[in-house]
Amino acid sequence: MDNVSYQRFPTVRIREIKDDFLKFELRNTDASMANALRRVVLAEVPTIAIDLVEIEMNSSVLNDEFIAHRLGLIPLTSERAMDMKFSRDCDACDGDGKCEFCSIEFTLNVKCTSDQTLDVTSHDLVPSDQQYPVYPVGFMERAEYGGYEEDPPEQRGILIVKLRRGQELKLRAIARKGIGKDHAKWSPAATITFQYEPEIHINEALMETLTLEEKKEWVDSCPTKMFDIDANTEQVVVVDAEAYAYDDEIIKKADAMGKPGLVNIISREDSFIFTIESTGALKAADMFLNAIEILKMKLDAVRLSMETEENDDQFGELGAHMRGGL
Amino acid sequence: MNAPDRYERFVVPEGMKKVNYERDMKIMNAATFTVQREDHTIGNIIRMQLHRDPNVLFSGYKLPHPLQYKVLIKIQTTSQSSPMQAYNQAINDLDKELDCLKESFVSKCRRNKTTIKE
Repeated sequence: MDNVSYQRFPTVRIREIKDDFLKFELRNTDASMANALRRVVLAEVPTIAIDLVEIEMNSSVLNDEFIAHRLGLIPLTSERAMDMKFSRDCDACDGDGKCEFCSIEFTLNVKCTSDQTLDVTSHDLVPSDQQYPVYPVGFMERAEYGGYEEDPPEQRGILIVKLRRGQELKLRAIARKGIGKDHAKWSPAATITFQYEPEIHINEALMETLTLEEKKEWVDSCPTKMFDIDANTEQVVVVDAEAYAYDDEIIKKADAMGKPGLVNIISREDSFIFTIESTGALKAADMFLNAIEILKMKLDAVRLSMETEENDDQFGELGAHMRGGL
Repeated sequence: MNAPDRYERFVVPEGMKKVNYERDMKIMNAATFTVQREDHTIGNIIRMQLHRDPNVLFSGYKLPHPLQYKVLIKIQTTSQSSPMQAYNQAINDLDKELDCLKESFVSKCRRNKTTIKE
């Protein structure tokens, strides 16, 4: 009795993997698991983001709150986040967020002294503590020498504010670990989606009753190019099954042409195609791996406590009666 | 000004139990589990896993209100099992499934020569 298991054995096939992009197939599981993983990546995988800003000097055109908000949204490299503590349950500092276990301090001190507008970007945020590698995304890849104007735009960092002559911005910021459920600035995901894998069956016998003209007309009726006609055999072939948007257009077209059942499309309920894009805070593969880990921790937390189970056993005769007199 | 703290959405208040178990007094082998500070993520996977158990006659979950941060999971089983047993079994199976998924994912990442943090 206790040894029965209704466990599934999911498998993964990776299609494309880059630091900030991941596409893979997930098989032998169901939509609830796929959706739980998606939801965990979006809202519960921790990252590091600026949470507290002390402004010493701000004579820019943007007000203090506005700048603080913009700083919060800058993605910071968060490989450390899983090992860090939330400042609310950090024992070392009683949660005031100023210790090495739960926070990282940044300073920013920029003044415009030229006649040209000065762009303050994420690269101007300097971590005070060099012990741990927490930087704004792209900080390490920035061009070391060479003026700002010559840098390619993607290496200039994230624009915070523009200063004119005489304006100054000086502040101290504390970054903390957090999750997307708290505030979206902590979400590591730019996008994460999954789709069912479509399975397309063409009724070849019925298809052969169509003329080449009709085949072309039918193939062209598909808004997303799923089918094509083989130039040699004049047969309709599936070129991209996954382009199907589940819009039923080609099925309607087949019906309209008087050929219902020309094609049968089913979505496989047990396999999914995931696409994950990262903000740069975490690698896409790490995001997914952390999500599995977090979901395991969540499941562990919802186990019944021993105390609850014992209380139930002590239910006595009434309990036995309710269980069916066993 | 009087908005509740954002962390109330996912931090169980002191003195409150994460999971509360309440037996149904009218139906045999039926119970409701109240899980604090959880949502569809946990509710749905546990419900679907319970559906795979042939001894489970009914399992369903609901989020009573978007501002009450809890889920209710209702389970009714045959006399061969009990709601508590089915609930524990479902969690164990999901845990093993995630182990299996992790193993598969890590090995495929290695094959793609991707460095991952472990």
